[in-house]
Amino acid sequence: MARPHIEPFCDRDTHFKPMRLLGFGTGMHYKMLSMDVDTGACSMTVQFDGGYKRSPGFSWSEYELIVIEGELKVGDRVCRKGHYFYVPAGYAMPEISSDQGCLLLYMYNTGEPSHEEATTHHASTQTQLYHDVDSYMDLSWAMGNVAKPSVATGCMIKLLNYNPNSFAMTFLYCMTPNFYQDNISYHDCAEESYHLWGTSWMMQFGDVPTGGYFWRPAYINHGAFASEYGCIALGRVDSKLFNHFHYNPWSTPVENADRSEARLLARDPLLYHWAFSQDHNHPHSPKDFELTMPRRANEEGHDTEHKSDGHRHDHWHGHHHHDEESPHTHDHSHDHSHDHDHQH
Amino acid sequence: MTFKNLYIEHERSSEAEDWVKEEIAEQEARFAEIEASMEALAPTREKWYQEFFDRIKTNGFNLDGDDKMPIPDADLPIKTADRKDQVVWKYGVDSDDTPRNGQEA
Repeated sequence: MARPHIEPFCDRDTHFKPMRLLGFGTGMHYKMLSMDVDTGACSMTVQFDGGYKRSPGFSWSEYELIVIEGELKVGDRVCRKGHYFYVPAGYAMPEISSDQGCLLLYMYNTGEPSHEEATTHHASTQTQLYHDVDSYMDLSWAMGNVAKPSVATGCMIKLLNYNPNSFAMTFLYCMTPNFYQDNISYHDCAEESYHLWGTSWMMQFGDVPTGGYFWRPAYINHGAFASEYGCIALGRVDSKLFNHFHYNPWSTPVENADRSEARLLARDPLLYHWAFSQDHNHPHSPKDFELTMPRRANEEGHDTEHKSDGHRHDHWHGHHHHDEESPHTHDHSHDHSHDHDHQH
Repeated sequence: MTFKNLYIEHERSSEAEDWVKEEIAEQEARFAEIEASMEALAPTREKWYQEFFDRIKTNGFNLDGDDKMPIPDADLPIKTADRKDQVVWKYGVDSDDTPRNGQEA
């Protein structure tokens, strides 16, 4: 069932609660914004009291984090408002602390919040995915036309995280003063937003002020849009963002989904017919051959003799074979100078 | 590149289990409040819909970015008597009992 539709909601209307899950220590308070009822994945406004400290460690779930106010110390590094982190599951962060206290937005994406004390990453961690950036100081605003058809001029973004498989994105977006866009939109993906500062307006839900939040499942109408004085927010989508614009405020999610399907047929007729034809109607989900195809690295006892291009020593499977008899053993100097005679 | 380890399997503690249950119960209450407040906003929203129709007839409907097209009055939608003004849908398509194309409810 995932997360329910929470819109509109403003965290300023509720009180902080002390975090009582083990591992987080004392001095951490939170306001729950939304929670996945199946997995416990959730988004929270979090306050660290002055002097808060958390030991080094990792979470079983990947999470994202942005500093809203104050200063957060990550190890010896001081991170100020606008600093964003993408932390893969199992990635051990150094000690986290705040001398004067700070306000944060925490998003646990695949499970409930957890903190396991550790100074090394979990063996399954995809450490290369970790990244962080001072999004206020070190990124520039770009046009908001990441999807076509696109938002109107005056809505701009800074891309913070992108999943190349699902096209899911995390981004800052802003609306300039007097921004407006006169259409109703829905998407084929869930959308989430937290207003870091300022107020925007949507025709269905009214004003979304500072601290305003929504988690909106796919195919739900939102818009027209406006912002009188401008706003800045953190937004996320859980798969590819496509703007389906229309002007019928009374259409339902099922009607919107049907329309998406009809538009898929118009846009990608061959794919549509392949996906929905009787002969290729997979009951569970279509298969991505890249996930299931036999791969060389999966073979047991692979021999290098027959998998390389005639050389005993091949590199494609990610490790080295040292064969004393081989002329291609690494026990020789690599002096590969090449003389090229380029004539143009 | 793949994101294969977005979540690392582990046994959830009973303490975490209780915490999640408690938060879900509070979320149910929060959702009910939101649903009620959005129903209460319906009269105001009806006015906003009419203002929206007026704007897209005159200033134009945003087709793509700043490209706008005025919508003729005859093309504007009509709210039929059986259609409710509903803007909050708990689980999106899963909470919508509108019949799908060509299918019975």
